[in-house]
Amino acid sequence: MPGADTKVASHAVDITKVYGKGDTAVRALDGLSIEVPSGRFIAIMGPSGSGKSTLLHCLAGLDRVTSGQIFLEEQEISAISEKDLTLVRREKMGFIFQAYNLIPMLDAEENILLPLKLAGKEPDRDWFDRVVDTVGLRDRLRHRPDELSGGQQQRVAVARALVTRPAVIFADEPTGNLDTKASAELLGFISDAVEEFGQTVVMVTHDPLGASRSERVVFLVDGKIVDEMPKPTPDKILDRMKELGD
Amino acid sequence: MWEVTRKGLLAHKFRLLLTSISIVLGVGFVAGTFVFTDTIGSVFDHLFTQTTSGTDAVVRAKLPFKVSSAGSNSQADRAPVPDSLVPVVRSTDGVADAQGSVSGYALVIGKDGKAIQGQAPTLGVSWGSIPRFAKSFNVEQGARPTRPDEVGLDQTTADKAKVRVGDTVHVDFLTVAPQDFKVSAVFKFGDAGNLAGATLAAFEPTTAQRVLNKVGVWDEVDAAAKSGVSQAGLRDNLRAQLQRTGLTDRYETITQKALAKETANTIKQGLSFFNTFLLIFALVALFVGAFIIYNTFSIIVAQRARELGLLKAVGASGRQVTWSVAVEALATGVFSSIVGLAFGIFVASGLQGLLKSFGVDLPSGGIVLKPRTVIVAIILGIVVTLVSALSPARRAARVPPVAAIQDHAVTPTSGCRRYVIGGIVTGVGVVLLFLGLFANVKSSDFPGGAGGLVGVAAFLVFVGVAMLSPVIAGPAALALGWPSAHIRGVTGELARENAARNTRRTASTAAALMIGLALITFVSTFGASAKKSFADAIDRTNRADFQLAGKHFGGFAPPAAQTARQALPGGTVVEFREGAWQYNGAGKQLVGSTADLGQVVDIKLRSGADLNGFATTGVLVYKDAAKSNKLKVGQTLPMRFSATGVKQIPIRGIYDDNKGLGVNFTSYILSLRDYEANYTTQLDLGTAVRKPSAMSASAARAALDKAMTAFPNVDVQDNAQAKDAQLSQFNTIINLMGALLLLAIIIALIGIVNTLALSIYERTREIGLLRAVGMTRRQMKRMVRSEAVIIAVFGTLLGVVIGLLFGRAIVASLHNDGIVFAVPVGQIVGFVILAALAGLFAGTFPARRAANLDILKAISTD
Repeated sequence: MPGADTKVASHAVDITKVYGKGDTAVRALDGLSIEVPSGRFIAIMGPSGSGKSTLLHCLAGLDRVTSGQIFLEEQEISAISEKDLTLVRREKMGFIFQAYNLIPMLDAEENILLPLKLAGKEPDRDWFDRVVDTVGLRDRLRHRPDELSGGQQQRVAVARALVTRPAVIFADEPTGNLDTKASAELLGFISDAVEEFGQTVVMVTHDPLGASRSERVVFLVDGKIVDEMPKPTPDKILDRMKELGD
Repeated sequence: MWEVTRKGLLAHKFRLLLTSISIVLGVGFVAGTFVFTDTIGSVFDHLFTQTTSGTDAVVRAKLPFKVSSAGSNSQADRAPVPDSLVPVVRSTDGVADAQGSVSGYALVIGKDGKAIQGQAPTLGVSWGSIPRFAKSFNVEQGARPTRPDEVGLDQTTADKAKVRVGDTVHVDFLTVAPQDFKVSAVFKFGDAGNLAGATLAAFEPTTAQRVLNKVGVWDEVDAAAKSGVSQAGLRDNLRAQLQRTGLTDRYETITQKALAKETANTIKQGLSFFNTFLLIFALVALFVGAFIIYNTFSIIVAQRARELGLLKAVGASGRQVTWSVAVEALATGVFSSIVGLAFGIFVASGLQGLLKSFGVDLPSGGIVLKPRTVIVAIILGIVVTLVSALSPARRAARVPPVAAIQDHAVTPTSGCRRYVIGGIVTGVGVVLLFLGLFANVKSSDFPGGAGGLVGVAAFLVFVGVAMLSPVIAGPAALALGWPSAHIRGVTGELARENAARNTRRTASTAAALMIGLALITFVSTFGASAKKSFADAIDRTNRADFQLAGKHFGGFAPPAAQTARQALPGGTVVEFREGAWQYNGAGKQLVGSTADLGQVVDIKLRSGADLNGFATTGVLVYKDAAKSNKLKVGQTLPMRFSATGVKQIPIRGIYDDNKGLGVNFTSYILSLRDYEANYTTQLDLGTAVRKPSAMSASAARAALDKAMTAFPNVDVQDNAQAKDAQLSQFNTIINLMGALLLLAIIIALIGIVNTLALSIYERTREIGLLRAVGMTRRQMKRMVRSEAVIIAVFGTLLGVVIGLLFGRAIVASLHNDGIVFAVPVGQIVGFVILAALAGLFAGTFPARRAANLDILKAISTD
């Protein structure tokens, strides 16, 4: 466990997630525990069906675990009501999905500020400006999503995730729909945020190049963590993935 | 291909159901109206067959002419036949027996002094001694009245009057003094408690002749055939007998079957207005339903773009794709029509219940479901559904195969063409509207005449505006959403953007609501205008202090006015009676009144009038009628009365204002003396009273009230009360129409539910995302409901504007009738508020659906 004295942003203790019942039951997560220290960039990888997306959804409170506990900072979120969970998500988590991240009839700025507006909070303009500049969207704020490229749309999603200064940002294949250049750019913005703002990021990906931008890669197979790789490189990840039979 | 369609249908049972409701309601009301009409028809056929059972043929006076004017109290009445005709009939070949019969006005007064009176006539009839002619008196208790002081009552009337056999009951007549009678019998009328709502007091024949002012005469002579003689045979024998005795000119013979049919038809014609009325509302409902169908199928096609694209990609032709959508529409249509038909039967029994609540006790008969009803309902439902789904189905054919792999390959192309066509349709509608209103269209020019043309014009305007409305839907949604965006913050803002984003969808959803609101606004505007004009006319022309009015707007016997005259010596009491007559072959209406009518109503009589002459005989003519018929004071007018034939009546004056003479705005005022001489029934439909100037209003009122205690069916009203009573007639009609239009509005609200539910399905991913980034369920519900409110208010405002314009146009066309434009501002504001609340309500279900979407499923939906 790296840095046991640092603050923990998100952690899961002995969680299982079972879909279905009886003979058709599938154990998507099988007694898994994980700890995400504050200010770190963690990548989760694994073959299809390994449970990596389920893990992300459970950590983010989008899905409920069958057993075990999930914590966000000190708060246990696996046992709170749907309503409280919504408020926790709004205030302490940021999300970047693979696609359809934005509300089509809102422009970039409105999309970025959406979580704050939903919470009825006034945005901190300085912080907003910093975030916007970090992701390079200054001249695109008045554009609607259909006027933005795929990469720009994902950058808006990154900015939206950052603007609430969440405890953790959960990114689910954020570069899945992007070409190589746009992917690299987006990952650059994400790692900049980690470095500059001390932002915690948990990212699910199957792109070794993307995962190599993280500080640590966690490998999942059959709902269990089978390996971790600090300071990853694309080649090392590729080799490991081959061994895991992706 | 069929397999795909079938599975698609089954997969969307809920959608099918919701879409069907709109058609089910429309078809249900159409079918219900038919079933009701047929059931009532068969009930009356049965009833009047019973009434006349025992009789095989009837001899009666010929009707000199027919007056065809709807909504009038005056019927051309038949002259009576003399007593001496009875032996003539009896002695005819094949006649087993004959008997004279009379009927007329007789008002039963209950024990508590209250008149037993509903909306239907109060009848006195003769009950003869020959049993075969009295079969319809189905005696429950007691025996036939045989003495001059005995009466038989129908069960319903006896119950209402709280009397039984042996009790005494007070009965009021037109010409003879009220009298107490001993109840000798309580009877049912055939199977029913009463005769279609009428009250019946049956008397021994000579007594009936006396109390009904028909001494020595009968309304008709009933004849029964000897066994082996057919009705037609009997009729022919009677005709021959009349020929022989030289009475053919005056009398006619009709078989019992023909008579029953004739009587039933008279009642059915009376109801046909009601039926047409209901049918119009049912069609409006169906029209609104068509919008819902159109909308639903448009959304379905847009949502299934991917699936349709895939079908195209694997080789389906555009025609096949169109057919797959059309088949879904067909299935929806068939399903809705069948359910609608079943629903219609419930509607019909509901309508019967409604009649019963008005006091019409119909004999229980089976519901009549004619093949015509089934065919019309099913075809109408299917055709409306198919036609509405036609354009979306054709759009489906244009989905490119690439839609299978692209996300937003199909966006509805709102080309110029739509707006050009919409503009043309609206324009044609407006032109037709003005033609219908101002061009004096006759039913020979267009089916249904001016009314039919105006109906078609309104239909076109609605379709045209619906086609044009997407242009303003966007800005309107943004403007109407402004308050919600500012009150509700980001959820309101999102609702506003959602409403503005698919303008076509918002527009057509709102259009469905627009129709109902336009019609309701029109009705209330027209009603307010008519009310205001009527009230103005009363204020302008009324010079009376009090009015005597029959309860339930029925007429009352002349002794009431006579009594009022005696109660207020030095005052003026003026009777008004209505009648039909004929001039140059055309049926016309008149009012009978006295020479001092100028004391109670200002008719602006031109100078040169001879009121002294009018007191004994004469007619006053309205300026327009005088002008168009070239009538002058001093000429005589050949007036043909149904009872007495043509009479030369001197024209005594021309008057300039007919607005104070009741709703018929009559153009002819006949001297009451002439009226009495030429009409068999004397019934005051209104009596105006002006107090002596020396008497205080309260003393006059007290004196009148006291005098009228003897006439329990007469109300004394001061001017304010009289005005209220007159105006309340308008309110009843407006409210009834409003209630019926509510149906169209409910269907439109179902449309909002449907559209929003489908939109939410379409926006699943977006909703998931909003929830993921922190929108609470409560905020989600609020957002969807706000969107519903914006759509509802948009539709309402469109409707209100169109309704006001319609109202303005109609009022303009009636300018010559003295109708002035009035806007019921309070009511209209009320409509808008109610529409907003209804939108809120309609949004509740889709809102809950959106709030309960599983976030994870929503964001992982592909």
